[in-house]
Amino acid sequence: MFPNSTILGPLFWIVMGGLYTISFTGFYYWITDSIIKMNWWKWLLSILWFLGLNITIAGGFTLFGEKEIRAGFWFLSVFGGVFIVLGVGLWRLLTSR
Amino acid sequence: MDEDNNKFNRRNFIKTAGLASGVIALAGAAGAGLAAGSNKDSYTGWGRTAYGEDQFFNRKPFLVDTPTYDKVGETRRIAFIEDLFKRNGELSRLLFPRGDETPLWSFDEGVEKLPEPLKTYYLEHPDALGEFRKAIEKSQEQAGTWDKYKHKYLLADAWSTAHASPIGGQGAFPPQPHGNPEESDFRGVNEETLPLKSPAHGSSLIKQIAYSFGASLVGIAKVKEDWVYQGYMRGVGKIDFEVPEHWKYAVVIAVPHEWDSMYANPTYGTSYDAYSKLRFIAGKLEVFLKEIGYAARSHVPPTSYEIAMPPLAIDAGLGEQGRHGVLVTPELGANTRLAAVTTNMLLEPDKPIDIGIKEFCSKCKICAEECPSGAISFTDKPENVIRGYQRWNINQDKCFTIWNSVATSHARGCRVCLAVCPYSRKNNWIHKIVREVDPRDPTGLFSSAMLAMQKKFFTYPGGQEYLPAPDGNNKTFGEAPDWLMTEEWFNI
Ligand code: SF4
Ligand code: SF4
Repeated sequence: MFPNSTILGPLFWIVMGGLYTISFTGFYYWITDSIIKMNWWKWLLSILWFLGLNITIAGGFTLFGEKEIRAGFWFLSVFGGVFIVLGVGLWRLLTSR
Repeated sequence: MDEDNNKFNRRNFIKTAGLASGVIALAGAAGAGLAAGSNKDSYTGWGRTAYGEDQFFNRKPFLVDTPTYDKVGETRRIAFIEDLFKRNGELSRLLFPRGDETPLWSFDEGVEKLPEPLKTYYLEHPDALGEFRKAIEKSQEQAGTWDKYKHKYLLADAWSTAHASPIGGQGAFPPQPHGNPEESDFRGVNEETLPLKSPAHGSSLIKQIAYSFGASLVGIAKVKEDWVYQGYMRGVGKIDFEVPEHWKYAVVIAVPHEWDSMYANPTYGTSYDAYSKLRFIAGKLEVFLKEIGYAARSHVPPTSYEIAMPPLAIDAGLGEQGRHGVLVTPELGANTRLAAVTTNMLLEPDKPIDIGIKEFCSKCKICAEECPSGAISFTDKPENVIRGYQRWNINQDKCFTIWNSVATSHARGCRVCLAVCPYSRKNNWIHKIVREVDPRDPTGLFSSAMLAMQKKFFTYPGGQEYLPAPDGNNKTFGEAPDWLMTEEWFNI
């Protein structure tokens, strides 16, 4: 991540870990304050969706980093599109009674 | 009441912070991806070689007993005249003798007037002679138009020439063998040989030493007679010979070209960066083996070989042959250049691997579509039977014509097929996933999906576009690195 530093790389991933923890805690509070009833597989699907979205974004930007700009945009459009559709589907599933 | 309010506010704060953190984490994932894509640590073979860390693909699940080339008939050794460079060298000596001597042959005299073995070869391959004539004409055009391109490609040409400088002439390393191999391969060998603990120890040691000299991949094979050239031996001359007894094993070494310049073929890349690395590694390994008491001979590019490298490397478990005729390895793809050292040290050979490259090539054909010369076959399955082996074979003569056509100072290669091959990818997480999943998928669906993405997502200029005007637009497959672009550093 930071090729000229041996310190910033590990720090970056510690911060990322913290961000994920806070975002999941926040999500947990949103859910428990809402009318949505969660069970284990709904939690699992939600976490997988968010991780998949992160990987899609990382994948597209990896291709940008390789100077494969067109491939990066295609990657983000196709898989990003898939994740948006999946996200809508997931939301309907979570909110359905 | 206050406590309730505080609790409520804290809860709201965490909810808002969670949302913000999610968005920042997505941005962080983008940053991490960008860094992974541009990270120089992913340039396999240009950083972590000294400890063998670049041979990172676990070959164990893919080891096979029989190599992936198909033996379909009576086999025979390769006549030296079947090698493009040896053949062209012979013909050039007749057409362009040194000094003021008059040519010993001209195209107008026809094939019948050629000396053997050229005569027989060209009678059997009449198109090859016409193609060589075209290559000479193209090389004259190339020299004529270089003036137009010499500033644009100054740095690329200088970089290539610098890499080529240790290769030819008196000071070349390793020095050419002198005399027959029973003398030259034993010259300077330490008379004292310590008892080796086991062949496995021998292989492990030699691999470690080769890595320490800069090899990215190392494999060991028994020398198979079919891969040894016939009719010419360095240090002796034109001679028919039996495979020397002491060429028992070959230590096969692979390194890649520098990645960014390789992607920017044909005009910014060179073959000489990998060639000069290989010569130093193999030459040093030869000296090392002799120092510990074993006969050794290095076989190095561009033309100092007695053995054909790709099949030897397949035997040594480094990879498989691709449609473009080049060895494809899991770590380097087609960006793989080879050398070997033959020795009588007792070694444990590696097993060949099968990661499904032949099957992938049947579907892919990208190299054939992008090749500016049309030298690469489009057939679904390999149709040529070459010396008893069924395999893909490129039209080397057509390929050489393109070397003489691209906008370089002289015929210093094309290598577009290496660059466009989907296996030629750097070592970052996204390619690592493909590398590991594809050979484990028995259905072939994953590779079909990857191939569809490859063709749709990536930019391919198309065969003729790599040529200079009027045929093309001097396109390169990838963008040239700034350190090879003259306009970044000089006013032109
Ligand atoms: S080096 Fe160029 S011309 Fe030769 S086979 Fe490869 S792509 Fe074709
Ligand atoms: S470009 Fe495609 S067809 Fe050609 S060697 Fe590579 S994988 Fe095989």
